[in-house]
Amino acid sequence: MAFVEFRDVEKVYRMGDVEVRAVDGMSFSIERGELVVVVGPSGAGKTTVLNMLGGMDAPTAGTIKLDGQRISSFGEAELTQYRRHSIGFVFQFYNLVQNLTALENVELASQICRDPLPASAVLGQVGLAGRQNNFPSQLSGGEQQRVAIARALAKNPKLLLCDEPTGALDYVTGKQILKLLQDTCRATGRTVAIVTHNSAFTQIADRVIEVREGRASGVRTNDHPADALSVEW
Amino acid sequence: MRRAFLTDIVRSVRGSAARFLAIMGIVALGCGFYAGLRMCGPDMRAAADALYDGTNLWDLRLMSTMGLSSDDVGRVREIPGVRGVMPSVTCDAIARLGSEQVAVRISSLDCGAAGASAADGAYAVASDDASYLNRPRLVEGSWPCARGECVISADVPAADYGLGDRVELLYGTSDLDELLGTTELTIVGTVSSPDYPYTGSFGSTTLGSGMISQYLFVGPASLATDAPYTELYLTVEGAAAETSESDAYQEVVGATKASLERAAARLAAARQDDLRTRAQETLDERWAEYDDERARAERELADAKEELEAAAAQIADGERELAAGEEGYRDGVATLRSQRANVERRLDGAAAEVARNQRTLDDRWAELGRGERELARGRAAYERGLAALLTQTGATSLDEARAGLAEHLGHLDAGIAQLEEGIAQAEGAPAQAQAAIDAAEAGVAEAQAGMAQADEGIGRADAALAGLTSQRASLEGQQAQLLARQAQLEQMLASAPEESREQIERELDQVGVGLAQAQAALAQVEGGIAEASAAKAQAEEGRRQAEEGLARAQEGLAQAQAALAAATEAQAQLPSLRAQLDDLRQRRSELAGALAGADELAAAKAQLDASQAQLDAGRSQLEDGAAKLRAARSQLDSGRASAARELARAQAQLDDARGQLDDAGAQLADARARYEDGRTRYEDGRAEADETFSDALAQLGDAQREIDELDRPDIYAIDRTKSEGAATYHADARRMDSIAAVFPFVFFLVAALVSLTTMTRMVEDDRVQIGTYKALGYGTAAIASKYLAYAGVAGTIGAALGILLLSQVLPLIVMNAYSIIYTVPIQRLPLPVDLGIALSAGGLGVGVTLLATWGAVLASLREVPATLMLPRAPKAGKRILLERLGPVWGRLSFTWKVTCRNLFRYKRRFLMTVIGIAGCAALLLVGFGLHDSIWDIIDRQYGPIIHYDTTVGLDDDATEIDVRRACDYLASTGEVDGIVRVQNENMQAGTRASDETIRVNAVIPRDTASMARAVTLRNRVTGERLVLDDDAVLVTEKLAIKYGLAVGDEIVLFDQDDVGTAVGPGHALTVTGVAENYVGNYVYLGRSAWASVSDGVPAFSTIYASTTPDDAVRRDIAARLPDLGGVSTVAFTDETIAMYRTMLSVVDMIVVVLIVSAAALAHIVLYNLTNINIDERVREIASLKVLGFTRREVSSYIFREIALLAVLGDALGMVLGIFLERFVVTTAEVDYVMFGRSIHPTSFAYAFVLTLAFTGLVILSMRRKLDRVDMVESLKSVD
Repeated sequence: MAFVEFRDVEKVYRMGDVEVRAVDGMSFSIERGELVVVVGPSGAGKTTVLNMLGGMDAPTAGTIKLDGQRISSFGEAELTQYRRHSIGFVFQFYNLVQNLTALENVELASQICRDPLPASAVLGQVGLAGRQNNFPSQLSGGEQQRVAIARALAKNPKLLLCDEPTGALDYVTGKQILKLLQDTCRATGRTVAIVTHNSAFTQIADRVIEVREGRASGVRTNDHPADALSVEW
Repeated sequence: MRRAFLTDIVRSVRGSAARFLAIMGIVALGCGFYAGLRMCGPDMRAAADALYDGTNLWDLRLMSTMGLSSDDVGRVREIPGVRGVMPSVTCDAIARLGSEQVAVRISSLDCGAAGASAADGAYAVASDDASYLNRPRLVEGSWPCARGECVISADVPAADYGLGDRVELLYGTSDLDELLGTTELTIVGTVSSPDYPYTGSFGSTTLGSGMISQYLFVGPASLATDAPYTELYLTVEGAAAETSESDAYQEVVGATKASLERAAARLAAARQDDLRTRAQETLDERWAEYDDERARAERELADAKEELEAAAAQIADGERELAAGEEGYRDGVATLRSQRANVERRLDGAAAEVARNQRTLDDRWAELGRGERELARGRAAYERGLAALLTQTGATSLDEARAGLAEHLGHLDAGIAQLEEGIAQAEGAPAQAQAAIDAAEAGVAEAQAGMAQADEGIGRADAALAGLTSQRASLEGQQAQLLARQAQLEQMLASAPEESREQIERELDQVGVGLAQAQAALAQVEGGIAEASAAKAQAEEGRRQAEEGLARAQEGLAQAQAALAAATEAQAQLPSLRAQLDDLRQRRSELAGALAGADELAAAKAQLDASQAQLDAGRSQLEDGAAKLRAARSQLDSGRASAARELARAQAQLDDARGQLDDAGAQLADARARYEDGRTRYEDGRAEADETFSDALAQLGDAQREIDELDRPDIYAIDRTKSEGAATYHADARRMDSIAAVFPFVFFLVAALVSLTTMTRMVEDDRVQIGTYKALGYGTAAIASKYLAYAGVAGTIGAALGILLLSQVLPLIVMNAYSIIYTVPIQRLPLPVDLGIALSAGGLGVGVTLLATWGAVLASLREVPATLMLPRAPKAGKRILLERLGPVWGRLSFTWKVTCRNLFRYKRRFLMTVIGIAGCAALLLVGFGLHDSIWDIIDRQYGPIIHYDTTVGLDDDATEIDVRRACDYLASTGEVDGIVRVQNENMQAGTRASDETIRVNAVIPRDTASMARAVTLRNRVTGERLVLDDDAVLVTEKLAIKYGLAVGDEIVLFDQDDVGTAVGPGHALTVTGVAENYVGNYVYLGRSAWASVSDGVPAFSTIYASTTPDDAVRRDIAARLPDLGGVSTVAFTDETIAMYRTMLSVVDMIVVVLIVSAAALAHIVLYNLTNINIDERVREIASLKVLGFTRREVSSYIFREIALLAVLGDALGMVLGIFLERFVVTTAEVDYVMFGRSIHPTSFAYAFVLTLAFTGLVILSMRRKLDRVDMVESLKSVD
């Protein structure tokens, strides 16, 4: 049984009289420990997929399962618990709390979950051991994203979800972040899902899910994913 | 301006309704509060002005110490500036009203004008008469036109009397009787008078408790004839056009007042002349009246005297006549008595005679009886002897028996003689002889006995003869007496009057009869005498025979003696002879005996027959005498009867005369009593008349002196500032002005901060847009104008709404509250909006907003478009001081850390929130603090300071005895203790530096030591007891504050006139202490201190005491006390407390307003703050949600910050509130009351908690907004 399973998932937004089918019968599955890249053009529905996978939104129809949990049938409170304990989220714009230091930002997450990883250790893992007490405004974009990743990892989540993690970063820094994510996946066996419009990222993925017009237009696996640093875009 | 630009503004308003509303709201609150509070004063003044103008209330009041007349009205009317003049009579009195006995003010009312007037809404009373002033509005009932009718105030709350009830005026200021024609009034209606707008007190008076509790109007019919006016009410030309008590008004009125004052001396002189002339006229009339009365009285007295004298003469005559009558009567009585004695004597004499005759007759009857009985006995013995003899002899008659016997005897004798002879011969002659001797001797003795018997017969005859002789003499005397009477009666007959003649003749006849009888008796007695003489002669013959017998016996004796000797010889033959003799003798003696008896019988028979004849003769004689005696007796009886009748008639006549005399005597005594009575009356009348006339003379003399010494009256004018009602209202209106000057400051400050924060946020939100506009070529001013316009529109709309709404609501609330104690009606809505105030409020509000906006925009506009196009770097996180405290910081959770850092990161917000919340908390604290201060007035005043709850006031002229009686009564009820006596004087207090005076109670305890039982005098702050010794002058705190007095300063006490205006130069005293006190103003004085104010020892006629708090007990005491005499007022503190509660509930209303505004302020500030906070941190919130933060965690993450700010602001607010409350308390205080000076801990707690509760409420409402934050926001780029 797959670690993550999407089956016939539909998401319909009603905007007045207009009905928008953001996701229209999407089905795919992800195995434990895989680095997955969800790729597709803008408006294809990949963010909606991310939202539903991250427990931020519920599907209109179909089932979503993660590690045997049927997320698609969760209520508000269950989704909150799901986000809290099962998901680590990395935002495009880091979304760090400006008023907390790097370490505190990590603790912000680790303090609320059941089985957190030590915050400073995680910061060390992401290469920020020396910047622990800096405020976000004192860090560069890449460093901030590292803090964000550390914050997500510290929760010891089942699934690490990254929304355009390099979107706000320059090329080099972006590659380093990708590398970090790939290394994290490899080193800890954690399942990592990256949502991006950049098809170049597909090279580093174990599994690539292409999304087009609300459907999974193609799901393929890379038997030999490339190293993140070697990827060019 | 470009159309697109305008569209943008409109859209931005639409897109940020909350922001727009926040600015609008705070500006509305600030401006509205400011304008509303500022307009309270003007609105109150406008309302009062409308009332005063509508009812033609006086502008000036002209008073005279000696009253005023119609002439004065005319004189005043001519003074320039004077428009209307209304004369009035006003006086104060203590009245019994329902169950109360209180001080009232009575004023005259022009009934005609009142009847013709018509109420025109709540404000105006329309009348054609410009000189009809102070027009009262009739609330119910009718105008008091008839004598004894009155109307009372409709504005006295909870009065237990009403229409139809009676009002009894007990006593009043000195001129009460002079002014009013009646003291018994009946309530016929209720009115509301514009002259008494303040219901807390209708004015001051010298009577009772010093406060007027009710006002009355009476019609002219109830006034005393010739009652002088006590004052003139005037309106001033042009004054109505100005708002009452405004500067312009005071100027107009002041000018006329000045003319009046200039004319005062002239008016006073004229009044003096008027009074003198009128008084002299009246006095002259009274002189004439006096003379008339005197003459009439003298005439009447003289008449009375004359009548009395005539009566006295009559009585004397009567007495004389009566005395004569008495004398006549007494004579009559004496005559009758002597006549009666005479007649009785006469009758008694006759009666005695008759009785005597009777007795004699009776004796003789008895004698006769005895004789007859003897006769009967003799006859019986004879018969018996005869019968025996006849039997013995067997004869048929005595004579036969005698003859037989004699024959027989002869035979025997012969035998015997033979025998004896024989014997004698035989036996002796001796014995014979002896016997002869013996016989002879017996013959001698017999003869001697016969002689003695004869002597006895002679003696008896002599005795009978003597008795009869004396009887004859007596009868002869009787005869002579009767003859004498006969002669007397014949003489009387000759001289007697006709009517008694018959009686005398009758008597004469009787006497004649008596005479005949006496003569018959005499003849009888003569007969007796002759018989007795014959008996005597017979007896003398018997004696002579006896003497002869004696001689013969003696001869026989001698023969016998010779025979004896012969006899002795014959003795021998004796025995046979003797026997024969014995036998014979036996028979002889028997026969001799029988013969002797027969002889005796014969003799006795003869004697009996003789006695019988004699007795029969005596009897017939006696029967004759008895018949005569009976006749004499009947004659005597008839004489007695007629004499008795005659006497009885005479007695009756006398009795009649006696009765008449007694009647006459009684009548006379009556007449004398009446006369005495009349005389006493006359003398009394005389004395009374003398006294009355001498009194009258003295009075007239006094009156004349008074007229001669009549002072010039003091005439002065006062304006409305001296009218307690109008002045108190005006002061309250000004008090609102002071409060309005401070409170809105908080709101404006907060409004500025809210605008600044909000607009800053808006500008920041619009960074990119601003950059775009700049890039498009819009100038700085144009771009700024968007925000200025935005803020301007929000501010203007807010200001307009706030001002329009609150300028109605706030004055309405305030005036509503004041309507509890003022009768000034609330104006009809909409209330006038004072344009000046509205513009200044709006301008200030909008100006502050624009200024804040300009400040916010300026910073951003300085930047170049390029930087503006980039999102502004988030405000850097910063370490704060707290982090240096490692251990503390380390323990804080990250959410606390964020909160702490955030607090200091956004300084404007911090300031806005803290100030806003502080303002809210301060307002609440002011509200609750005010409440405390108000309740403290009662809680601290009554109990800790004033211990007595009962005040009994006696009249000014009460004596020591009156007061003591009242004290004794109170003590005797057993329900009252802590009795303390003081002198209570209603005075005015002030200083030399100030014109203004206020009413104070000067209290002089009788015994300074016992005063502590009634009042605790202490310093409020230190609690130290103040010394109340003889020289003490202790003023209460409010008084001290008002005049800035401290120990050693000088206070001036003034006497006050009847309407509570300070008069005289005043008495300066040095303050020796300031005492804690909340209600009223007191000056406690020692005796020596008081002596410097007033001469004479006070009566200490006010009694403080504590009474059992039982309504029934108190009612009973209150009902009984006035009957003791001298007691004028009985008040229980409960009533006072109730009054203060009413007065102070005004402020309670303001407390509610404060609480509501505080809540509004808190909401606007917190809502805005939270809104900004959330808006600004949407991304952060969304991220946290994505991170799996629960709803509660997210809320606390965000709201903790607000809560902390709220607590901080709250704490600051407490400090701020203390100062604000103190300001409000001192401003809101009325002269009569000092509010408590401390806020209770509970009030701090309430204010603190309530502020947090408001915060909590806002947080709760904002949670929904937080919930609505979409997690998707976290994915968005920073725009």
